[in-house]
Amino acid sequence: MHFTRFSIAAAALIALAACAPPGQSGSTEANATGPIKIANVNAQSGQLSSLGQWEHKGVKLAIDEVNKAGGINGRQIKLDLFDSQGDPTVGTNVARKISAESYIAMLGTAESAVTLAMAPILKDAKIPNITSGQSPKLAELKSPFLFLNAPTSVTFDETLAKYLVDDKGMKKIALISNNGAYGAGEHDAFLTSLKSRSVTPVADEVVTPDQKDFNSNLAKIREQDPEVLFVGAEEVQSGLIAKQARELGLKAVFAGGAPMGTDVYATTAGLKNAEDTVVSSPYLSNEASEEIKAFAAKYKAAYNEDARMHVAKAYDGASILIEALKQTNGEGGQKLADAIRGVKRAGLLGNYDYDANGVGIHATKIGLVKDGKVVPEAAS
Amino acid sequence: MKRLIWLVPLAVAAWLLPYGLGGYAIHVADVAIIFAILAVGLGLTMGVAGQINLAQVAFFGVGAYTVAILTTQAGLGFWTASGLALLAAVVFGVLVGIPALRMQSHYLGIVTLGLALAFTNWVTNAHIAGRAEGISDIPVPPMFGIDLSSGYLFYYVELIVFAVALVFALLVTRSPLGRRLRAMRDDDLAAGALGAEIPLLRMTAFVLSGLYGGLAGILYAGLIRFVAPESFNIANMFLLLAMVIIGGRSSILGCVVGAVALSLVREALLDASGFAQLGYGLVVVLVVVFAPKGLAGLPEQLRSLRRGRGGGSRAQLGPFRPYDAVSPAAGEEALEIREVTMRFKGLVALDAVSLTVPTGQIRGIVGPNGSGKTTLFNVISGFYRPGQGSVVLSGHDVTGMAPYQLSLRRVARTFQNLRLFEDLSVRENLLLGLDRTRTWWIWRYPSLPWKVLGYERELRRRAGDLIERFGLTEVSDAGPRSLPYGVQRRIELARAMAMSPTLLLLDEPAAGLNGEEVRQLADIVRSIRDSGVTVIIIEHNMGLVMSLCDQVTVLSSGRVIADGRPADVAVHPDVVAAYLGDSMSAPTEESAEAAVEEATR
Amino acid sequence: MQVFLQTLIGGVTFGAVYALVAMGFSIVYRTMGLVNFAHGSVVMIGAYAASTFYMASKLPFAVAIVVAIAVTALIGLVIERFLRPLENKDFTLMLIGTIGFGAVLEAGAVLVWGATGHAVPSPVATGPIDVAGIRIPTYSLLVIAVAAAATGLLALFLQRTKRGAAMQAVAMDHQAATAVGIHVGRSNAMAFAIGAGLAALAGSLIGPMLYVNPTMGGTLGIKGFAAAMLGGFGSMPGAIVGGLAFGLLDSFAAGNFQEYSELVTFLVFAVIVMIRPTGIFGEATVNRA
Repeated sequence: MHFTRFSIAAAALIALAACAPPGQSGSTEANATGPIKIANVNAQSGQLSSLGQWEHKGVKLAIDEVNKAGGINGRQIKLDLFDSQGDPTVGTNVARKISAESYIAMLGTAESAVTLAMAPILKDAKIPNITSGQSPKLAELKSPFLFLNAPTSVTFDETLAKYLVDDKGMKKIALISNNGAYGAGEHDAFLTSLKSRSVTPVADEVVTPDQKDFNSNLAKIREQDPEVLFVGAEEVQSGLIAKQARELGLKAVFAGGAPMGTDVYATTAGLKNAEDTVVSSPYLSNEASEEIKAFAAKYKAAYNEDARMHVAKAYDGASILIEALKQTNGEGGQKLADAIRGVKRAGLLGNYDYDANGVGIHATKIGLVKDGKVVPEAAS
Repeated sequence: MKRLIWLVPLAVAAWLLPYGLGGYAIHVADVAIIFAILAVGLGLTMGVAGQINLAQVAFFGVGAYTVAILTTQAGLGFWTASGLALLAAVVFGVLVGIPALRMQSHYLGIVTLGLALAFTNWVTNAHIAGRAEGISDIPVPPMFGIDLSSGYLFYYVELIVFAVALVFALLVTRSPLGRRLRAMRDDDLAAGALGAEIPLLRMTAFVLSGLYGGLAGILYAGLIRFVAPESFNIANMFLLLAMVIIGGRSSILGCVVGAVALSLVREALLDASGFAQLGYGLVVVLVVVFAPKGLAGLPEQLRSLRRGRGGGSRAQLGPFRPYDAVSPAAGEEALEIREVTMRFKGLVALDAVSLTVPTGQIRGIVGPNGSGKTTLFNVISGFYRPGQGSVVLSGHDVTGMAPYQLSLRRVARTFQNLRLFEDLSVRENLLLGLDRTRTWWIWRYPSLPWKVLGYERELRRRAGDLIERFGLTEVSDAGPRSLPYGVQRRIELARAMAMSPTLLLLDEPAAGLNGEEVRQLADIVRSIRDSGVTVIIIEHNMGLVMSLCDQVTVLSSGRVIADGRPADVAVHPDVVAAYLGDSMSAPTEESAEAAVEEATR
Repeated sequence: MQVFLQTLIGGVTFGAVYALVAMGFSIVYRTMGLVNFAHGSVVMIGAYAASTFYMASKLPFAVAIVVAIAVTALIGLVIERFLRPLENKDFTLMLIGTIGFGAVLEAGAVLVWGATGHAVPSPVATGPIDVAGIRIPTYSLLVIAVAAAATGLLALFLQRTKRGAAMQAVAMDHQAATAVGIHVGRSNAMAFAIGAGLAALAGSLIGPMLYVNPTMGGTLGIKGFAAAMLGGFGSMPGAIVGGLAFGLLDSFAAGNFQEYSELVTFLVFAVIVMIRPTGIFGEATVNRA
């Protein structure tokens, strides 16, 4: 029994050695006609699905616009959505899938860990990827095919530290962050910015992304009576931390990155608790400029909900890709990556000007939360 | 094994598969194989051995992470790291398995789940494990110049590993070890009484789990070359669980089918969402409700549906072929019980009970309900450790020994309420009794598998002999539950005799038998005695006791109130009083036992 | 000392919630022998129901909770019909079957309410009470009080009413209960409805403390389950003690072990359950597993 199976296997092995090993024959040459295939990869299920759904709406808005206006030099863009489930393994699967099915560019994901996992495969396949992640590690990869549609945490937190320490002279700073990819990135970036100003935080608490009760961590922070509490966590958790901190009587100013400029943060914390939170973000509000106002109106008309940063940056990313595609006439690969790097665009999040690491925006603005809405800080 | 012949064309097809697949499809196949290996491991632990293990995905993670850490941080070669990773996964498996020694079922489930969460938490925090962003740049495994970064060539590596893993799993399930694991799943007490070392077997299950998890993890590291905490989260554990359940958990091949099927479904849903999760959940619920044995159990289910519900078994017992009589050994004492006292939460079930049973005797134990008879058996067979006193077996003190140890010292027993393994055939029930190996014997599985097969053949030959002796030929391949009560009693007796005991304990063997069956039973027991086995029998059928037993001991309220020849005992005034007194008023022993039994499971 | 006491406050508040979740697990388990892993998702449904009534139809919070309990209990009856074939089956089937059902509920919530979720404004306007520097949020007091009241009511129901006594009887002995004419099916449905109601109560109380979204049930379910086990699975006092114990364990681990808190919590949990497998109060059902 075993021997028969073994001998069959051996025979097959010999047969295999005799002929060529399997593999895809011929390269997937980019077809110069028909629709241009673009993949949007984002979590559509699981914990992070709300993020993924916003991303998709922003991307779709940009693509629909260009298609309606005649497409890329007459060719329509075909946008397909893939569910990464927020899982890097699934991400690598999708990366292989889009390279096998000759998509010429990819938009997303919103989770740095997933994008990091996908990057090597996309680089090998020469598929440019404009991600919504903002981990400094994405830039450290120095992949010529990876572009960020937002600044990295380093920029967010450097701006924040400059405002808090240099402009406002606050030195008693406490940190609370989660150990997820986003929280840990924020924590490390802000700490580096503080160090460069020789400020040592009075407290540095780390929580888990699932944690809901921060009494213990906040009580420890309260003992140090800090002027500023830096929060490095996603929207909901930031809100819960702010709420519980105020309930504990912590008087410190809250400060953080883009998540704290959202309505989710403000409503979770309670509008009163969120008041005067300092936010460092390239996209402060839907009223920040005329372009943004127009975009927000367009978005509202399309989806009947308010625009937000995730939507705007996905829209920016898609717009950059469209502009680059127009230059390459729908061609992908190295040429498209070079074109993206060459795009200079005044986007919703700021002026895109890509450097060698694929970072396009190098500045954020400081805003303050007033009655649940972010208003630009006038002083800076 | 012959039935597995159809695997051959399948194997050839698997070997030729890459020629028909595109670059991405082969990657999907690679991932599916990894999940299939994981599912086989989970099937062995959960389906075959009945150990609820929700940490399989963590074993997977330990394997993958160990490879990642050792290759990127310690600079070890891929295969060296893999060897260590396998070891790490097995060690972790043993650690996670330790709680199984104390608890089962949902308790074990939530504890293993908690430990899996603890693992994820650790890799999310530890700098060495790359924290939340994971570890990238795991090197391509070297293989004599073959480029394994190609999904096609890696497929063959996986296929070979998978084939070996599958064959090994099939060897385990279709041999003495697998039978013991299944017996343990069905009824661990009865399995222990048959000589299965329950604690070691449970650990074996977790070692297997760790082994398969680690193996899958290594392949994962080699294929994806990137690890991150999210890939080993609970959602994937539940996916794995669904693979095993949908495929059919007690069938290894079913697990493989389930894993491949769900991997493909998951793939198909990659670019569809919204209703996908809804559909996935519904499918799982429907399978569990309508096809609890999964895809593997479907053919059987359809067959029994077509056959209809009418056909109860009309099986007939054949005649019993008596044992060869041997001349009785000189008056040595087979069993001596000295002053044994057993308490359950204040209730004294046995109160300084002493009795001596000479070799070659049939001893009857009688007494009203709740007088401590079954408790006495449970003490002799090692289920209970007596508070005071000692049990001496042929001159050796065996007090407090575990059931399997006593079983190996050739003490066999039957149970009052029949404890046959329902998921095993009659033949397999007997094979369990015949298998007298210790658990450490299983080192032969990885090193000398042909010896295992040889031993199995020998066991089957002896089982055939036993089946013929006890007249069970007609029912040998049926499931015990489908058989009439009298037949089941006969099977349990045969199973006890399969252990070639020197001391046989029969707990109400005549309960539920008709007159003819009782007569046959008496003949069988006499023949067993004549072959040199000492028999102790608890029985309420006084006619049988009077005619069969050489000596009778009467228990009442946990004390020996009479002991002597049947005729003398029957007229003893205390005995008469005990039987005429309110014998129904003291049934508390049963409930106390049930409670203790529950607590020790 | 302040940190210690403040940690205690947090632990007890969340412990009260875990206790409610654990009670829901336990009442279903003791009556019908079903380990319901979809319970966390039922909590989520309850939270959505309460917050939707509270925010959209501007009902007073207390009324919204009552309506949510009623609605969720009704949903519970429907779920029970689906899960009935699984009752008293072997554990593996219940495990995956109820997990599957949980996935269905979660997907349903995404379809009905969307993936984003919403924050629920606190129904209590007064600020926290300050006792020597220890701040006790008034809402926490409300949660603890409501949890205690619910526990008391449930105990009264089980011990003083005919229906409750029937459920106790079914919990103790299935067959004997049938023999004396108790409708086991009805009793089971009742138990499930009460379990769902408790889940809804827990969910609606959690809403203003946390954030309501479709995936909120996962962690709550696992922690509530662990709490039930810590106290003694199927025992009602056990669920309460286990819930509080788990809440405290959780909050002290967070304070002392930071990002490793989850690791510590579950290791400690595993060790405790190893030492005392039947929990603090022992398993209340007779030979069901």
